[in-house]
Amino acid sequence: MDSFAWDSINDIAAAVRNRSTSATKLVELSLNLIKDAQPKYNAIILVLDEAARARAKQIDELVESNQDPGPLAGVPFIAKDNFLVLGGETKAASKILEGFMPPYQASAVNALEAAGAICVAKANMDAFAHGASTENSDYGVTKNPYDTSRVPGGSSGGSAAAVALGLAPFAIGTDTGGSIRQPASFCGVVGLKPTYGLVSRSGVIAMGSSLDCIGPLASSVSDAALVLDVMAGKDKLDATTIDKDELGYKDISAKPLKGVKIGVIDEYLSEHVDSDVTRAINQTIDKLTQSGAEVKRISLPSTKLALACYYIICPAEVSSNLGRYDGQRYGFHEPDAKDLDESYLNARGKGFGKEAKRRIMIGTFVLSSGYYDAYYKKAMTVRTKLINEFESAYKEVDFLIGPVAPTTAFKIGEKSSDPLQMYLADVMTVAANLAGVPSISVPVGADSNNLPIGLQIMAGQRKDRDLLSLAMAIEELGK
Amino acid sequence: MSSSDYTATIGIECHVQLKTNTKLFSGAGNDAREAEPNTLVNHIDFGLPGALPVLNKEAIALASKAAIALNSRPELFSTFDRKHYFYPDLPMGYQITQFDQPIISKGSVSFNLDGKTFKVGITRAHLESDAGKSTHPANKDYSLVDLNRAGTPLLEIVSEPDMHTPAEARAYAHELYLLMRYAGVTDGDLYHGNMRFDVNVSLSKTDKLGVRSETKNLNSFRSVEKAVAYEIKRQSELLDQGRPIVQETRGWNDAKQKTLSQRSKENADDYRYMPDPDLPPVIIDESFIDSIVQSMPNSPDYLRGELAKLGLTLTQSEVLIEANLDFEFAKYISLILEFAKNGQDVKSLANWLVNIDIPLMREHESKASNIDRNKLYVDVLNLVKANQLSSTNAKEIINRCLKMSELPLDIAEYAKAENLLQQSDIVALTDIVKDVISSNPEAVKDIQAGEAKAIGFLIGQVMSKSKGQANPGLARQLIDEQLK
Amino acid sequence: MARLSKDDVLKLARLARLELSEEEVSEYFTELNAILEYVEQLQGEDTSDLKPTNQVTGLINVTREDKTIDYGYPVLDLLKNVPFKEQDQIKVRRMVG
Repeated sequence: MDSFAWDSINDIAAAVRNRSTSATKLVELSLNLIKDAQPKYNAIILVLDEAARARAKQIDELVESNQDPGPLAGVPFIAKDNFLVLGGETKAASKILEGFMPPYQASAVNALEAAGAICVAKANMDAFAHGASTENSDYGVTKNPYDTSRVPGGSSGGSAAAVALGLAPFAIGTDTGGSIRQPASFCGVVGLKPTYGLVSRSGVIAMGSSLDCIGPLASSVSDAALVLDVMAGKDKLDATTIDKDELGYKDISAKPLKGVKIGVIDEYLSEHVDSDVTRAINQTIDKLTQSGAEVKRISLPSTKLALACYYIICPAEVSSNLGRYDGQRYGFHEPDAKDLDESYLNARGKGFGKEAKRRIMIGTFVLSSGYYDAYYKKAMTVRTKLINEFESAYKEVDFLIGPVAPTTAFKIGEKSSDPLQMYLADVMTVAANLAGVPSISVPVGADSNNLPIGLQIMAGQRKDRDLLSLAMAIEELGK
Repeated sequence: MSSSDYTATIGIECHVQLKTNTKLFSGAGNDAREAEPNTLVNHIDFGLPGALPVLNKEAIALASKAAIALNSRPELFSTFDRKHYFYPDLPMGYQITQFDQPIISKGSVSFNLDGKTFKVGITRAHLESDAGKSTHPANKDYSLVDLNRAGTPLLEIVSEPDMHTPAEARAYAHELYLLMRYAGVTDGDLYHGNMRFDVNVSLSKTDKLGVRSETKNLNSFRSVEKAVAYEIKRQSELLDQGRPIVQETRGWNDAKQKTLSQRSKENADDYRYMPDPDLPPVIIDESFIDSIVQSMPNSPDYLRGELAKLGLTLTQSEVLIEANLDFEFAKYISLILEFAKNGQDVKSLANWLVNIDIPLMREHESKASNIDRNKLYVDVLNLVKANQLSSTNAKEIINRCLKMSELPLDIAEYAKAENLLQQSDIVALTDIVKDVISSNPEAVKDIQAGEAKAIGFLIGQVMSKSKGQANPGLARQLIDEQLK
Repeated sequence: MARLSKDDVLKLARLARLELSEEEVSEYFTELNAILEYVEQLQGEDTSDLKPTNQVTGLINVTREDKTIDYGYPVLDLLKNVPFKEQDQIKVRRMVG
């Protein structure tokens, strides 16, 4: 796999600030890499060259006038296409939003720009973030950089592939049921889903509002931490945001492993997991134990229930959030609709892809009167059960680990004909979203086909610093 | 008339637009009256992707005030829900409302009608955001949507079905209006739809309630009364013919003076209520509620009580209570209470306010008088008490002064200059009376013959000779004396 | 428990304003039933002593001041994406009632 290796984000920004390079040069480099990789990998859905060049010029002018553009000075990045970004279309890889030019942009993007970073492109994704393979994009699947006959994972497949290919030093994505962690695992990069509420959802196309998390994908844990530090914190535009940690997330060092209490989730190492994946996880566990960590097995009995719970709550929220896509004020519309009804049916019937429609219908069903109590309300109580289970687990250990997915990257087309099969692969990632806890995927090896394997690490709510610290240590172990 | 065989049961839902600066969940302005279409909007009101609602804290304060005004207290814990349906004036495809745990549950509204006191229960009241406004140009195949109103904060107040006549419905609506305005919850601009009433009417001959119809979007007390009356008549006619009542939504057509069917409620989609994940719950405590109670102005009932104690009639009270709202600058009630405190003649003041001042303000609304009313009424009252001003001329002075931009510095001087002062000087009057008596021998003869009416004629003559300034009571006295 | 008929699928599509082809109705009929069967395993769980969770942050009373906000873009930009307009209003097919 051809990939470009960027310096660490800190080093890049320092180079811009001390003028050994310029934002303009970095943006040109990124745009060229993108151009070269696009035909083979289709990681990108839209290039924002004009806007990026203009921004780069501004950053360089700041440096010229001895002002500090910020901790991410001149660093190019790629945003998943469900982030509203000024300067181009935002579609969430769905036909129903074709032509939509946002008048405002995501708070997370504003924060990154305020720190000097420059958005060069929008990454491909499963349309509306519905999926785990990027096969649901209305603009073609993204190919896994390690094997182009395979998926990069999803829904942030484009973001993960872009980082793996080195198209930019980092990318941002969203994780509602594993959509940052799973593609990160499949593409061999670091993918972080922070504590729910730590990064503002304003300006990010909503999927499952109580589950959606915004997070970074990068080639190292410290890079991911730096990006989180810039994006995190309360936002006036999002009433569900929480305070950033007092100490922030940028000066984190690898956690000394002696005495660290780590739980391996029993249910995540069942017989449904690939033997190569199991082996890689066990190897990491061995290294941890050798370094003095106290690793033990922990059971989360509600694991299987978590998946069922997720596939009620998530579609319900999706069906609600997608109600606004009706072609009346923006996006795909039928000019020849004969009446109001038809204009709705056409816009939504033709504009939405299969998976979106599937989830909307499930969601509509579980919220309808007569079924609400048995499905949606029931799922909400099971969610409580899961949260309680996590809380109990965290009384015994500080961290929980396991694989991210039962397999490595699967072949394009392998699961797409059976949606339920696709859903079942989310079994290990949905729990973190239901509980609102932070979780990270860190590459810990490859299988016999050289396909990357990620280790999932979870910490308690608001313990993102700790999580990143342990992740760094595990990253070190792998070196 | 067969409608008397049936008992009508009426419930009213009222949407009250809250008097906030900005909308319920977005920072757009809340006063769309003079705004160009689609200017008081933002990405949240437009339902753009990625838009998130943030609750306006003033809405909680106003809803809490409404709770107190409705003889209740705001709930300590309330949450928001999404109510889903598709319509072009509902940009997000759902309305944010409070279905499960509203901010107000259980209250009551009492009012007086024809000497009886009625109490209507309030089932619940909740916050919700309004939809946009749509217009339907004549003979066209399209409609136009203006989202200025989308997101405006509403308090929906649902009454128990405790009313039974059109008059009760009207009185309830009116009382609710007074309560909400006095509490400072709404501007109550009915013309601009600040309060919209939906009336639910059903008829029955037994204890069991009949099928009801809902007539929506009435924006005056008159139309509430008429729509209810019409529905009672319409339904009783149908029932008399043995035909069923369809549960449906109707609208009031003022031109035709009838309700017309709009759409059958049975076909209304399932709203699929869902707790809104974007909005954390609202939790208030007793000290917050106490501070709300402290901040509330006196209620209409309290004022009615005070005015009654001062000897004002019910009618006078109602006129004053209403005008106190509509012409805040005039501070009518404060005026009355001040007068009472200072031991001045409240009855005279009330008379002048109700019969001259307020009617004048209603007539010349745009040129509302902001003169120093206290000074005006105190001075005029003093002149009347000193017999220097006849009651007729007192009214004249008041009438003229209310139309001025500033009061004359000295009202007595002004009255004198305008020849309005009453001549109570006995010497001067005696001469005039003598003069009049000698000039009108016929009238004198009539009086001496026992015709009392002729005295009026002579008094008239005295008034005329004195250019209206004579004190008529004194004139009569002098005439009597001189004719003895 | 609940099993959807093809008619139910059509009703759901109607409720969600989704136009489906014959083929899609058949497909969704199979898929939705499989998914619903899967999620029904929740029915067996005893959660009677648990309160439903709909938010995980634990936040309460998140409000803003009652002051107008400049969101940083001209309001006219909102109309730019509207497909059919007339006099700055959103033009849609005739609304009934």
